[in-house]
Amino acid sequence: MRSVTLNIRLFFQGALLSYVALFRWLSPMTYLASKVLMPLAQILFFSFLGMYATGQANASFYVIGNAIQLAAVSGIFGVTMSIGGDRWEGTLPYLFGTPANRMAMFVGRAFFHVLDGMVGVVLALMWGVLLLGLDLSHANPLALGLTILVATFSTSGMGLLLGCISLITLNVMFINNTVYFSLLVFSGANVPLSTLPAWMQSVAWALPLTRSIAAARQIIAGGSLAEVAPLLWMEVLIGAIYILAGYFLFRWFERQAKLRGTLDIF
Amino acid sequence: MAPLNAIEVRNLRRIYRTTIGVIRRRVKEVVAVDDISFDVAPGELFGLLGPNGAGKTTMVKMLTTLLIPSAGTARVLGFDVVDQADPIRPRIGFIFGGERGLYWRLSAIDNLRYFASLYHVEPEIARKRIPYLLELVRLDGRGQEKVEGYSRGMKQRLHVARTLLHDPELLFLDEPTIGLDPIGARELRQVIRNLQSEKKTILLTTHYMFEADALCERIAVIDHGRIVALDTPEGLKRHVRDLSVIELEVYGIPPELLDVLRALEVVEAVTVENRDQKQAVLVQSPGGSEAVPEILAALSGLRVGKVIVREPTLEDAYVRLVGGEVEP
Repeated sequence: MRSVTLNIRLFFQGALLSYVALFRWLSPMTYLASKVLMPLAQILFFSFLGMYATGQANASFYVIGNAIQLAAVSGIFGVTMSIGGDRWEGTLPYLFGTPANRMAMFVGRAFFHVLDGMVGVVLALMWGVLLLGLDLSHANPLALGLTILVATFSTSGMGLLLGCISLITLNVMFINNTVYFSLLVFSGANVPLSTLPAWMQSVAWALPLTRSIAAARQIIAGGSLAEVAPLLWMEVLIGAIYILAGYFLFRWFERQAKLRGTLDIF
Repeated sequence: MAPLNAIEVRNLRRIYRTTIGVIRRRVKEVVAVDDISFDVAPGELFGLLGPNGAGKTTMVKMLTTLLIPSAGTARVLGFDVVDQADPIRPRIGFIFGGERGLYWRLSAIDNLRYFASLYHVEPEIARKRIPYLLELVRLDGRGQEKVEGYSRGMKQRLHVARTLLHDPELLFLDEPTIGLDPIGARELRQVIRNLQSEKKTILLTTHYMFEADALCERIAVIDHGRIVALDTPEGLKRHVRDLSVIELEVYGIPPELLDVLRALEVVEAVTVENRDQKQAVLVQSPGGSEAVPEILAALSGLRVGKVIVREPTLEDAYVRLVGGEVEP
């Protein structure tokens, strides 16, 4: 029981401090701008491009797709930097020398980014309502909130995996950017999945966000939670698989670093 | 039953393998620690003394469960460092010299809070211990500041506080005073003395001779991965008891003159220290003051200032054992 309490405390303390450590260099105004202006730019760019190509009536397709896809900003960039930061700070030997539960230490890093990502998605949807006439009147707020939570959870799972890769690669931003921009296409945020080649569709269903975006579109069109439940459960499973893959990669990295003496080199 | 020794090292060896080249890759092996054995008693302050690259940090990494040995065994507090790392970690603390290893964007207090939770320190104990430790390392009143604004010395003192959070029985201090100004280094040495008086077992690595002499009960001199001597500081000095050290103040000595000196029969070893615009040539000689005329004759034509003949120190013993140049 005591160890459970200690691990829960480690989870939340690590979650809060790693989040604070990552964003403290930003002034509140800079942080706010990153939360407000960057989503605005993405939504305007893809929505107007999409409307130009397919017509005004499809605005909501692009607004919803990009708003949910923006969960990846916190889920991928935030979480990856939170884990990769230990490499730059030189704290890895000190972390690996502690008796701390690795799962609590590792997964805790993603917690506040899930919440942060949800705020980002809500702000993006607000831009859609204010500037592009997105109609949320048919949406079940609870179902939509749950969908946003599941989307940020699954992208944070992918962020944890990429964070571990950042421990062993030299240029994590290259990987992050590649994955982020791939999600713009593969997740169905900007292109209907049915128009993609078969192999791309197969990849799309193995990625986070694909099901969340599909679920969000159904909910905003008036669908019920029960109708999208299978999509959301699968999205949770996808997120959990990425978390587990990241965790095992994290343990593998720890073992390899001790075997090869590369804890300070990577 | 408590183990007889806090640390037991037997025939420990660590080889690093690196690859060179892209197309025709070749494996290069570097033996960092080569068949080392020693024991450290509970409550002892044991020193590992050696030049850069001698294998000191590699040794500390293996003993702190951060590096797996290539061969041999090491037991810390009775537990094997490879197979029983879990019971070792909560009972040891360690510092690797330098500024890194802290979360610079967090305050000192937040750093300590996080590491307290990593070491499973109960919150109420951490709340009392953090202010106490900040005071111990003279950072009281600065704990709320972000670490990025700290001087190097402050960061290193914060490392000391961090490593004491969980009140470990055994401390590994890897060059803790490296890069500190003389006052900061002296203060840190006082902290180490205080820890010693609390009966903590300490393994200290350093390449500062006077530091090892002032703090350590026993010292292992390590060079090229091997122990070349293991004794008390006094015992090590006995290695050069038959010698005197002749210090000659010179101004720009050419290397060939050093070779001339080394070739003299009355000379055992020669090192040079840079002292501002001048150099001090340190000649170890069994002849003492009687060797001075012959040495001066060998340096004829060179401007020589003060000449002092003195008893050898631990540093002189180290020079004889390691046989290299001493950093100025």
